[in-house]
Amino acid sequence: MKTILTAKDLHYTYIPGKEKREVLKGIDISVNSGEIFGFIGPNGAGKTTTIKLLLGILIPKKGELTLFGSPPSAPKTRQAVGYMPEIADYYRYLTPVELLIMYGNIFRIPKRVLKERIEKLLQLVDLPEHANKLMRTFSKGMMQKVSFAQALINDPDLLILDEPTSGLDPVARKKMREVIQDLRSKGKTIFFSSHELSEVELVTDRIGILNKGRLLAVGSARELLGDKEEGQSLESYFLEMIGEKK
Amino acid sequence: MRAVWAIACGMIKELIRKKDFYVLLIFMLILLGFLSYQNFFDIGGVSRYVRDLGYSLVMFFSFITAVTFTAKQLPSEIAARTIYPLLAKPLSRQTIIMGKFFGGVLVSGLSFTIFYAIFTGFYMTGGEGKSLVLLAQGYLFGLLFLCLVTALVMFFSNFLTMSANIVLSFLLYISIGGLADSLREIALFSKGIISVLYGAIYYFLPHLEFFDLRTRITHAWDPLPLWVVFSLSGYTVIYCCALLYLSGYMFERKRL
Repeated sequence: MKTILTAKDLHYTYIPGKEKREVLKGIDISVNSGEIFGFIGPNGAGKTTTIKLLLGILIPKKGELTLFGSPPSAPKTRQAVGYMPEIADYYRYLTPVELLIMYGNIFRIPKRVLKERIEKLLQLVDLPEHANKLMRTFSKGMMQKVSFAQALINDPDLLILDEPTSGLDPVARKKMREVIQDLRSKGKTIFFSSHELSEVELVTDRIGILNKGRLLAVGSARELLGDKEEGQSLESYFLEMIGEKK
Repeated sequence: MRAVWAIACGMIKELIRKKDFYVLLIFMLILLGFLSYQNFFDIGGVSRYVRDLGYSLVMFFSFITAVTFTAKQLPSEIAARTIYPLLAKPLSRQTIIMGKFFGGVLVSGLSFTIFYAIFTGFYMTGGEGKSLVLLAQGYLFGLLFLCLVTALVMFFSNFLTMSANIVLSFLLYISIGGLADSLREIALFSKGIISVLYGAIYYFLPHLEFFDLRTRITHAWDPLPLWVVFSLSGYTVIYCCALLYLSGYMFERKRL
């Protein structure tokens, strides 16, 4: 199976003022084509920094990071990546259609293809009746749906989702899970960061547990829980790994 | 270019859908209407006074639009976190700066065109001497002025908060004429390092006062010679390119 994402000995240090803070302390990840990789960790573990590195927004201080064999900031790489941020308050004076047209134009998607894709995406996220309404009237959940749609506008091969189900009601969460699994069945690769452990357990093929800048464990939920006693949940395993459970 | 246009289009939609522009437009119409009423008897002095105020209002309101729209672009993208999906797309940070700059120029240029059209109607119906060439030069200088202001505000927004950016831009707008005169005089009448230093500051400052045709339009003087128009256009292009390059450079290094 082809490896889409490779990170080797990835380090990142923030230097706010004079105080250095090592956020990532040498993490190794590899994600294969068609895989859903869940990335979990407590607040401040380094998840968002890792995602910013994957998107080429930050440059690693040390280590190697490639997406599709190229650096994340390469235009060719970005053309194949979709990103949904944890929270984004999209332009409130635009409609979802206008937002998607704007992003579609950045990807230089031909107009006819773009029009069809926007219709499909708005159907997919259950927003067709709000397609031409200004986003200033939208709830957090609706913004999340728009955010998901914009991440798919370029039909990406790799989808990076940061807390995708945050702000969604249970019905929308279920729908989101189904869409993610459907995308996987179409050969898309998904890198999925979340606090919702049950969500991660339900959707992902493999899970990486990050704490204090170190990747503590990587494997499928079954592999991670394999040698534990019957009935142990991912949550209790996670708490044990990060040292919160005695 | 399509990416730059895509970003700029969003800003035009914002101008059309937000109330700020309409408030300025209505305020402008009220003031010009009031000034026209003052000009009803077509007395020469009053007419010039009214022209002077009308032109100043057009420039000031266009300046307000350029500064307030451009100053909030980068800070609001960062605060709303929409900068991240934008940065994840295949476009450089320099392109984002260019898109925001063109958006700012289009937004303020569009407002200026509407304001200037109203002023033109008012100018043409007045009794004083009229020059279409001078009026056209006033329009071109207004657009060049807005390009320079937008580039300047874009540059400031890399290291200033939105409110500090607006305040500094207003201070420059208000004081640049007097400040430039003082600097030039000191440079001319002093010697040695002081003269060089003040001279350098004088040339380094953005000379917003160069674009002011108020006196010429008010008193219906002759239009400016072409070499002045070309020189000022060249000055604006060079200054804007330098500011945008620096903005891109700083934004590229900004940790987000």
